[in-house]
Amino acid sequence: MVESPQIRRWVLATRYILLTVIAAIMVYPFAYMISTSLKTRSLALGSPLDIIPTEPTLQNYVDVFRLADLGRYIANSAFVSVTSTLLIVFLASLMAFAFSRLRFPGRRLLFISLVIGLALPTMMLIIPQFILARDLGLLNSTAGLIPFYVGTALAFHTFLLTGFFSTVPRELEEAMIVDGAGLWRRYWNLIVPLSRPAIATCIIFAFLGTWDEFAWALTTLNDESQRTLPVAIALFRGQYSTDWGMVFAASIIAVLPVIVVYIIFQRQFVAGLTTGGLKQ
Amino acid sequence: MSGTISFWHAYATDSPEVKTIDEIVIPAFNEQYPDIEVQALAVPYDELRQKLVTAAAGDQLPDLVRADIGWVAELANLGVLVPLSAEMQQFDELASTVYPGPLETNRWAGEYYGLPLSTNTRVMLYSSSLLGEYGLTAPSTMDDMNAMAATLAEDDIFVFADNGAGGWNILPWIWSAGGDITDADVSVASGYINSAASVRGVEALASLYQAGNVPNVILGDSGGLGPWEGLEQRVYATIYDGPWTFAYFGNQYPDFDLTSAPLPSGAGGSISVVGGESIVMTQSSGNKPAAAAFLSHLLSEEVQLEMARVGQIPVLESLGASLVDINPYYEHFVEQLQTARARPATPAWAQIDALLQAEVWKAIRGELTAQEALDRVAEGADALLAEYR
Amino acid sequence: MPGFALFVLIMVYPTVQAALISLQKWAPVPGGRSEWIGLDNYLKAFSDPVFLDALVNAGAYTVVTVPLQMSIGLGLALLLDGAMPGRTVYRVLLYLPVVTSWVVVSLLFQYMFQSGPGVANLIVVDVLGLVDAPVPWFLERWTAFIAIGALGVWKGVGWAMIVYLAALTAVPRDQHEAAALDGAGRWGRFVHVALPALRPASIVISILLIIGGFNVFISVLLMTGGGPANATQVPLTYMYQQAFEFLNFGYGSAIAFSLTLVILAISAVQYLATRERKGG
Repeated sequence: MVESPQIRRWVLATRYILLTVIAAIMVYPFAYMISTSLKTRSLALGSPLDIIPTEPTLQNYVDVFRLADLGRYIANSAFVSVTSTLLIVFLASLMAFAFSRLRFPGRRLLFISLVIGLALPTMMLIIPQFILARDLGLLNSTAGLIPFYVGTALAFHTFLLTGFFSTVPRELEEAMIVDGAGLWRRYWNLIVPLSRPAIATCIIFAFLGTWDEFAWALTTLNDESQRTLPVAIALFRGQYSTDWGMVFAASIIAVLPVIVVYIIFQRQFVAGLTTGGLKQ
Repeated sequence: MSGTISFWHAYATDSPEVKTIDEIVIPAFNEQYPDIEVQALAVPYDELRQKLVTAAAGDQLPDLVRADIGWVAELANLGVLVPLSAEMQQFDELASTVYPGPLETNRWAGEYYGLPLSTNTRVMLYSSSLLGEYGLTAPSTMDDMNAMAATLAEDDIFVFADNGAGGWNILPWIWSAGGDITDADVSVASGYINSAASVRGVEALASLYQAGNVPNVILGDSGGLGPWEGLEQRVYATIYDGPWTFAYFGNQYPDFDLTSAPLPSGAGGSISVVGGESIVMTQSSGNKPAAAAFLSHLLSEEVQLEMARVGQIPVLESLGASLVDINPYYEHFVEQLQTARARPATPAWAQIDALLQAEVWKAIRGELTAQEALDRVAEGADALLAEYR
Repeated sequence: MPGFALFVLIMVYPTVQAALISLQKWAPVPGGRSEWIGLDNYLKAFSDPVFLDALVNAGAYTVVTVPLQMSIGLGLALLLDGAMPGRTVYRVLLYLPVVTSWVVVSLLFQYMFQSGPGVANLIVVDVLGLVDAPVPWFLERWTAFIAIGALGVWKGVGWAMIVYLAALTAVPRDQHEAAALDGAGRWGRFVHVALPALRPASIVISILLIIGGFNVFISVLLMTGGGPANATQVPLTYMYQQAFEFLNFGYGSAIAFSLTLVILAISAVQYLATRERKGG
């Protein structure tokens, strides 16, 4: 059955209308944030309906850079999140490969501990982890955050990837085994290329998670020069009142890299990509 | 003396306090002690407590902390603070210069574990023009307040608003009615928090609420119109709040005629609640003499005056008279501080406060009588206080 | 493998420590006197009305928000799956809620659900006419959870959308074509081709969202703080209060593990249910 062009046009139009309406709802708070960041003297938030500032100014953006060493904090955050993201995705994909493809002793126990690690509120681990970081000499340095970011995120990403890896048809792998391919080749030349969208998803989530992390960085860093961006942003909030224009300006600066990473990696979500790759 | 000392506080990055500390307080200290490096670290206020507790567990506390007055007994009980009255040479000298009320908040198990650094209290705040339109002035007694409620209700104006029913909010009502929280040793609450006078204090507020003269925000309705916004929109006639309200209104609503007055008095007088911060020294400090030198510096007239300029009410009795020259609005705060009282200094306070808030909430709503609610608080508080005796 | 080693060091070791803490009346400071009390903290938790109410609250939040996030997320993923102009723009716009800071969106939702003339009251009073007077949303338990749940769904659909997009990519294009040749319409292709192929992803998403639902924290903390009078307490806000405000770390840890037990029990039931369906 072939659809008539008219039906197709209708379907497309409905699609756009739906998407636009939903997008408007989704974007609204972000627009409000931008609008507030362009207003000065915003200890009290304006009405959410006044989305267009009367006298827009970039003063808040100038001020956040003037008052805090944001450039350095952005560099610290970038270093930590890029390194952590690479490690998280690499290690989690190896672990997921093991869980979905290999039989090894203790597999069940490890998988259960992984799920426990997923469900357990990490806030409650903060004191034992803090003491561990102290004993390992990982307090008070941006680099010291990395092992903890990676270790904490592994459960989630391994779980997500295990789900995706198990959908890769076994026949393909068996064919490779017949050809004498080892573990590493099966991982690197089969599972990874076939799971590009899943791995892209992990990169997007891992970057967001480590870029935004606040509680651990705040607890372990005591030196201003080691600070990460979320800690610096929180310091613009006062005990009794907060200049929201400034907080929102800093928050928008912080969101940009996350969006860039997302735009780059969402390109992997293209239907039909995997099968096309397989046939050749 | 030489070395490095670390000092944690919770002033926001864009606050004038941070500017004063970095540009005036520390440089002045270094003129006297050029070889001591002071590392001041800002921690977001909402997370300071969590960071302190974790650092205490990991033995990683800084030398000095500017802590809420309510935390001193708790930290002292953990064993992480230096008992200044026993171990700091200059203690008696410094203690004699500060207001006795704030000083008492640092006492735990017979020793003083901190010194007050800045103080504050709540006074009545209102718009004089709004009250003027009704031919009213600030109520000086609870009877005035009740009469005022009836007048304003005709135009749907709430006589009073507050955004919670915890100790900070409710204790001025209890104390002003002649009530109390615990005995002088902070060892028992029964017979004090549920005394007839304490019950009358809670009833006064509850009856205003039940008559529709106090808005829902007192029940913790976080979607409701906040006290500041309601005052500005002339929907709330009066609120109780601290000196920072003037900084906020000056910035946000510069045309608003914010006026202060002492709290209306009841059978016990006009008694407000003391807030503020103390400076404490930690047991893990590696350089206690240098830390003591900086601590003394923070309590010098020079530094206290500089901090007063950016909104921190000094704790030195000697500065009381000159404060009005710095900020005219300090007048009623200094006056109110003469009789204001502090929340009981006990490690159990955070839990007693939560219990008080939950039970008084029911009394305000009318689910319990004030007597029933405070009897429950007394029972729970007795058990908590017993744990720390 | 290094991944497992790091996971054991950063997660399992502190978890064991936290488990030990949960069996004590624990003094946080080294050298403090801790007292072994066995399972007392757990017995206390399961007879503590505030904790039990908090579990019910989180359960209700999960039951309502998870299906909504999954169905809306899937819908958006389907709308954005095929080739269409402006696809990247829409994908970015729909993802914005995921990256916008909790502080900002919690404030805004509080504003929209304000007791007076907010957007939410405009809808229920004036547009739908469901009630006569404005609702003080945050004054009562379940109305407060409508606001908290709305925020949860709004912030979560973009997340579900991405995972579904990644999963849709794996649906082989030739299966679509085959079904189209067999005369299947759009709906038929969706039900017979896409849905079965998305099953593994749906299971992963639902488990992660259920865990996330029971671990709801920051939005509740920022919007109601668990109040009024503990009415909107969830396990994590209660745990945080016990641990960091009241310094009852033993009890806080016991709450954390009790919550984890409940989640694992639910996951186990879900796992068995899906396995049975597969078998039958």
